[in-house]
Amino acid sequence: MRPRVPSERSRRAVALTALASVGLVAGAAWVSRRRPPRRRPEGSRAARQVRQGAALLAGSVLADSTMEHYRGGFHNRTMFVAPVSSGLALVSALAPGMMTRRARQAVNAGAVGAGLAGHLFHLRNVLRRPGALSWESMFYAAPLGAPGAMTLAGLAGLAATRLETGQPRGAEALRAGRIGSLGTVAGLLGTTAEVALLHFRGAFHNPMMFAPVILPPLAALAVADAARRPDRARLRLARILLRATAAMGLAGAAFHAWGVHRNMGGWRNWRQNLQVAPPLPAPPSFTGVALAGLGAAHLLEEARR
Amino acid sequence: MTRGIPDVRATEGRAPDVFSRDGWVPMRSHRDGEDVDFAIVGTGAGGGVMAAKLAEAGFSVVAFDAGPFFRPLADFASEEREQDKLYWTDERISDGRDPIELGSNNSGRAVGGSTVHFQMVALRFRPEWFLARSALGYGRDWPVDWREMWRAYDEVEDALKIAGPVRYPWGPRRGRYPYRPHEVNASGLVLARGAEALGVGWAPCPIATLSAPRGRAPPCVYRGFCKIGCSTNAKQSILNTYIPRALAAGAEVRDLAMVARIETDASGRATGLHYHRGGEWRFQQTRNVVVAGYSIETPRLLLNSAGPAHRHGLANAEGLVGRELMVHVNDAVWGTMEDEIRWYKGPPSMAVTEHWNYEDRKDFHGGYAIMSQGPLPTDFATSMVGNLGAFGMDLRRRMAGYNHMAGLKIVGEVMPDPENRVTLSDETDALGLPVPRITFGYGENDRAIGRHARGFMSEMLRAAGATDLFETTGTAHLMGGCPMGFSPQDSVVDADGRAWSCDNLWICDGSVMPTGGGVNPSLTIMANSARIGHRIRALAARGELARAA
Ligand SMILES: Cc1cc2nc3c(=O)[nH]c(=O)nc-3n(C[C@H](O)[C@H](O)[C@H](O)COP(=O)(O)OP(=O)(O)OC[C@H]3O[C@@H](n4cnc5c(N)ncnc54)[C@H](O)[C@@H]3O)c2cc1C
Ligand code: SF4
Repeated sequence: MRPRVPSERSRRAVALTALASVGLVAGAAWVSRRRPPRRRPEGSRAARQVRQGAALLAGSVLADSTMEHYRGGFHNRTMFVAPVSSGLALVSALAPGMMTRRARQAVNAGAVGAGLAGHLFHLRNVLRRPGALSWESMFYAAPLGAPGAMTLAGLAGLAATRLETGQPRGAEALRAGRIGSLGTVAGLLGTTAEVALLHFRGAFHNPMMFAPVILPPLAALAVADAARRPDRARLRLARILLRATAAMGLAGAAFHAWGVHRNMGGWRNWRQNLQVAPPLPAPPSFTGVALAGLGAAHLLEEARR
Repeated sequence: MTRGIPDVRATEGRAPDVFSRDGWVPMRSHRDGEDVDFAIVGTGAGGGVMAAKLAEAGFSVVAFDAGPFFRPLADFASEEREQDKLYWTDERISDGRDPIELGSNNSGRAVGGSTVHFQMVALRFRPEWFLARSALGYGRDWPVDWREMWRAYDEVEDALKIAGPVRYPWGPRRGRYPYRPHEVNASGLVLARGAEALGVGWAPCPIATLSAPRGRAPPCVYRGFCKIGCSTNAKQSILNTYIPRALAAGAEVRDLAMVARIETDASGRATGLHYHRGGEWRFQQTRNVVVAGYSIETPRLLLNSAGPAHRHGLANAEGLVGRELMVHVNDAVWGTMEDEIRWYKGPPSMAVTEHWNYEDRKDFHGGYAIMSQGPLPTDFATSMVGNLGAFGMDLRRRMAGYNHMAGLKIVGEVMPDPENRVTLSDETDALGLPVPRITFGYGENDRAIGRHARGFMSEMLRAAGATDLFETTGTAHLMGGCPMGFSPQDSVVDADGRAWSCDNLWICDGSVMPTGGGVNPSLTIMANSARIGHRIRALAARGELARAA
């Protein structure tokens, strides 16, 4: 006989979450459709997508690192580097006009460097704890993979500045598209690894927590395949999966908002729960990587013409 | 509900919804005259699991508890004295060479039993301990195969969503804990540093509090009030796991119902329970009785239930009821750290080393586990007054260092000894029931464990950088009193928890444990109860619930 265990998940919860995510995805689609076609001289479509991706990544890192480093009390001065550097990268992506091209390149190269250095700082923090490279440290010490998002933001920013000089064509587009795809694949897989670790820490208590460890690797596969042989069908599949990943990133924020609610005191206790619950700004970094990936796909498309 | 007399809540077809502040869930109700399949005495680690298992197997079940039915969100205060309401503080006489302290350190009284205020440490027995006598040469064997127990551990660990390390360093491979370990607090990291310095293993302690949301229960908020009752429901006690399950499956729970005596007929079979509820004496008829009142109240109830066929108390033909009562050595070493530790943050024991449970090169039998500590202020002050005689300015000075303190404590195995026992005294309590007398004395091996552990913990603490070390002694937990065994001559119940001399009487709590092991007992009690539940179901399916005939 099956034990009649009282229902673990309230139906209302499931319904609300579903509603929220559908709403978000639909909203995102609507917004992107209604946006008037921007015919700015500096921006090819690929450049625009890559820059949007960079902006989302930088924004995600800015919010996430500010929150997490605040939680850590900024006890080490270098902890200010992450928010400052990602903040500058965000400005360079959102308002490129505010900086010279040189400055933008410097800022984004700085983000790449800060991200790489971040890995080392976090590694040092891990190694100093009892247990060193144990699961316990991987779960709760400074996250080893997180600074990678800043590196990605910087790379995407650099790529965007590169592309704004004009859309490459032919063989050059193919080369650029392949480099972009490579970055996308690395970004998707790295982000997935980070999510897998944290969702494992959360014991995948909600089945939806499997989505971001399944979908992005599929997208990465499709992107890699399309970069290898950019034919129509492969590019189409890559685009579909990248769009799905982008939407999932936004839906993820809604799920995390639901996660906040499931902590003691829920949203009424937001000052505590925004820090301890799943991070709201984290999932959109998938959207950022996916957008940059769409830019790369566009370049590959261009090369086919 | 404040101090004073709480009111009966589980009645008239409804019981408190423990996940709400004032809600209810429907409850099946039985009349006193109705012959229910099972009447269970006690709803703690043993009784609570049994109520769920039997109800889920389709039996009609009424479970009695002397304590109130709390809703943690509304009833639990963050105040140590207020929460004394969770403990069994009725009068008990404690004597012997080493009289044990009773109450807050070993007995609860509430629906959910002692798990409502337990510290959530959820460790398994070492497999060899089930054959302590034949494999390790001390104590007694359990009449149960360790693999059967380990399957039952899997089951209860999942029911409690234990948060444990990804890989547990000691013992045979086990499946993954249902939830991941919590972040070890600073106090736990002191243990970790000490262990690493001395070259022994350590692990985040498997504990029964959520590290991720579960249904309507939020994850732990690390405020550290666990021992006085968790007010968030993050703690997975019997009250918010098995009790809701039991109710959903059709069990009735009667709170504030003190069972005084089990009635037996001329053939010696149990026929019902005399209990006190709502200011009056009542009688519940039943086909089977399960007793789960823990190591003092279970023997007390049996001894107080003499009948025509049980002259010296129920199931006491061989005079074994109440004997072989065990505690755990709970000695500790404390010290001051240079860094701020704030050990009250988080569950009290977040790191553990079972090194001396699995290492056999030592000069004593049995073993002990060491855990990091985080006592609340009143608790800690009380232990310093009791152990060190600290008082006045001295106590104040010591308490001023509270946020820099760290400590290690053991759960050390005590050998079963027939002279350590529960008997009935001539005094009576407010209901006119005989007050239990608890006689206890440590044996030489028990003392050796304490000495060894205090020495080892001092080394660990020093290695972790602590200064101004001092030691305290004490006991925790209760086990035994109605041991489970191989024959009517050596035990009160058989491997199925069934009394040798009364075939419709079962015991499934801590009192049936033949040995205490070097780990906290509740997980073992729950697993054993789940196992007995399965056995009862199997016996019923074969039509063997009545042994005679
Ligand atoms: C402070 C403290 C901390 C602990 N920490 C841990 C820990 O970290 N890990 C761990 O494994 N264990 C821990 N324990 C021990 C654990 O709680 C007990 O071993 C376990 O709950 C015992 O289970 P039980 O079913 O035998 O009895 P209990 O859980 O005590 O349940 C017995 C119930 O029976 C009821 N009862 C008794 N007699 C009668 C009667 N005549 N009529 C009606 N009702 C009756 C009582 O009210 C009680 O609710 C701790 C105990 C204490 C006190
Ligand atoms: S620390 Fe966690 S388990 Fe303990 S009382 Fe607080 S929420 Fe409950």
